[in-house]
Amino acid sequence: MLARVADNLFWMGRYIERAEHTARFMNVNYFSSLDAPNTVSQSRDFVLRSMLFMVGDPPPEDAKLEEDKVLFKIGLDRDYPASILNSIIFARENAHSARDLISTELYYSVNKFFHFADSYPARSFVKTGLFDFTAQVTEMTAVLRGKIRGTLLHDAIYAIIMMGVNMERAIQITRIINAKYNDARKSLGSYGDRFRNSYEWTTLLKCAESYDMFRRFYKKAPTSLSTLEFLILNPDCPRSVMNSLNQVHQHVLTIDPLKASDKDSTAFMVGKIRSEYQFKRIEDIEGAVQAFIDHILTELSAIGSQMQKEFFHY
Amino acid sequence: MPKTQPSIFSAYQRNPALFDEVFDREGSILKDYKRLMKLYGKQSIEDYHELNARAKASFFNQGITFRVYSDDKTNEKIFPFDLFPRIIGASEWAFIERGAIQRCKALNMFLWDLYHDRNILKDGVVPLDLVSSSENYLDQMRGMDPPGGIYNHISGTDIIRHADGRYYVLEDNIRCPSGVSYVLSNRGALKRALFGVFNHYKAHTVTDYAENLLDLLETVKPHGVDIPVTVVLTPGMYNSAFYEHSYLAKTMGVELVEGRDLFVENDFVYMKTIRGPQKVDVIYRRIDDLFLDPMEFRKDSSLGVPGLFSAYRKGNVTIANAPGTGVADDKAVYSYVPDIIRYYLGEEPILANVKTYRCGQPDDLEYVLEHVRELVVKPVDEAGGYGISIGNTLTDEQVEKVRKEVRESPRKYVAQPILSLSVHPTYIEETQAFEQRHIDLRTFTVMGQDKTYVLKGGLTRVALRRGNLIVNSSQGGGSKDTWILKNEP
Repeated sequence: MLARVADNLFWMGRYIERAEHTARFMNVNYFSSLDAPNTVSQSRDFVLRSMLFMVGDPPPEDAKLEEDKVLFKIGLDRDYPASILNSIIFARENAHSARDLISTELYYSVNKFFHFADSYPARSFVKTGLFDFTAQVTEMTAVLRGKIRGTLLHDAIYAIIMMGVNMERAIQITRIINAKYNDARKSLGSYGDRFRNSYEWTTLLKCAESYDMFRRFYKKAPTSLSTLEFLILNPDCPRSVMNSLNQVHQHVLTIDPLKASDKDSTAFMVGKIRSEYQFKRIEDIEGAVQAFIDHILTELSAIGSQMQKEFFHY
Repeated sequence: MPKTQPSIFSAYQRNPALFDEVFDREGSILKDYKRLMKLYGKQSIEDYHELNARAKASFFNQGITFRVYSDDKTNEKIFPFDLFPRIIGASEWAFIERGAIQRCKALNMFLWDLYHDRNILKDGVVPLDLVSSSENYLDQMRGMDPPGGIYNHISGTDIIRHADGRYYVLEDNIRCPSGVSYVLSNRGALKRALFGVFNHYKAHTVTDYAENLLDLLETVKPHGVDIPVTVVLTPGMYNSAFYEHSYLAKTMGVELVEGRDLFVENDFVYMKTIRGPQKVDVIYRRIDDLFLDPMEFRKDSSLGVPGLFSAYRKGNVTIANAPGTGVADDKAVYSYVPDIIRYYLGEEPILANVKTYRCGQPDDLEYVLEHVRELVVKPVDEAGGYGISIGNTLTDEQVEKVRKEVRESPRKYVAQPILSLSVHPTYIEETQAFEQRHIDLRTFTVMGQDKTYVLKGGLTRVALRRGNLIVNSSQGGGSKDTWILKNEP
């Protein structure tokens, strides 16, 4: 496979995943805040700030936010690079350039996805369509992942796309944890809430589509520690950082199994980082959650640069 | 009046001066279309309208589109196509196919001769200045032997039917003929929309194009290569024909590369893959000669590969079509093709040529200047239907302008009588009815070493505007699925 095309497919995977996480974050935060149990979590301003924080664009403390504008910006603004619409446009542009390599079925779905988002009316989106649009985006990304898994040959092309999907997932989950960790601290001290069992942990789990499985696993209401343990370290939770890294590791080995022991390879680097989390206890990071989140993001970015150097250099 | 005219055709108006492919002069349905008309006749115009809309949506969602750049946003458009197919009977097709192969073979021999001994020029059959004044003649190709001796691997021959019912060749396209992917997607759309119809006709498949193309390209691999690596070279995803490039690469199962994916080292061509460089042996290029190699041709080309031509010269890579083929599909050379066929093959041309006046010759020039109104005046080296003036549609000022341009650079123009292209019933969305529209046919011929293949089908292009004779897609043309019958029904 051509290095340039591999790069495009990697980013197709990343953008599909990014669209999904941004959409779900908007959806879950907005709607769970409507009847949140404390006044801070219930405030519009709080939710909008949380959304902007998640897409990497936190507004200044004194900024006055307008709901319509913020929702439009993150949802459908063509001029805002981190909007959901742009993630979908980029996913499709990348798929387009590799059209000869992916299946007709996959391209069809990506293309349909684009036309859906591109023609979604902005006015009704900010007034009544927020739930509909974000729910459909989430749904369609699941279809896309199904097409990726079910209609492509499980060879290097598939491995590259899945590396993109899982890298992005690890990054987005960490960013979401970061945003909600930040929210939990901000809502601290308001009536009827404590950091350890803040309402924000439930929202966080729902943002990661992991709430139900969390309840099954722990059989208790979420706390700060159990939530972080589940979303970072649990290898069986499909959205956890651990699970994503395991998948990246597996796919990177498909491309060249012999590279596993080459100390300068991506495979080696991912394996090494993966092992760190594999043998980490949540109690070890209890006192320094923020530092650990930053540490994860740094390591993920290092993996990204290494991939760039090894596979996408052209 | 005909008894069997079905309801969706009840508003169909026949102009008796035109050659209708479906109805004879008395208005009876021709035999190949009888069963089809019966099947279509079961539908109301509303049903048909809905089928048409559904088929269009399916093209759109599949992304079988071309991009139009306007204002700030790029728009995507589907190629207009028509669900009422064109049918060509087995014996008629056999004739067209033989004619297309004959032409392509003769043109290949002509190119070889032109870039080697030039016997045809020495014998005075084709004038020297016709070749030396052609912008598409490449001196770099002089004395070079392309692998397998093939220049025009892929040819698109444009054929029309005149009011006299005979087929004529309008144009040879032997540089980068395009359109074949639309043949395949039209067939796909028609099958989805009207699958029942196929049970009643035995039409040849068109889906074997890609495998035949790859087979034939592999026969002209460079010397000493065992299993060749073939690629399709595209200018990139913003090119209007990118869908076709990606479609061909996908169906052949080969890599689709851009110039920047390739590099040349020690006169061998490599592509940059995730596992390092891989040698490339056969390049089916979809970029023009002058952009192939900035070291040899246009210096500012960022689409090409530096050093590619030198690798080609050493015989280390095959380029299809070979550089420099444009000299033979030039519209001024066109008028000599019958002579070229006789000269190399010793045969009479199977497909007729349209009478062509060469403005480079004084007698013809004089005739053309006096008869602009009765002629189609064409620039010799433009593709896509650009620069064509159709005499009977011009205003007085336009006639003067054409005269002036022709007088200034006569070698740049040829002229032909205004032919009346045959018409085919075509569904027109604005009027929600079938109307007569002019059509032509582009056939696709692929030549390899000792092997030739003609796609049993072809692109029937339709001029969608009433009375318009120009069928090119860049000028608002549409297309129809084209069935070649396996035997007479």
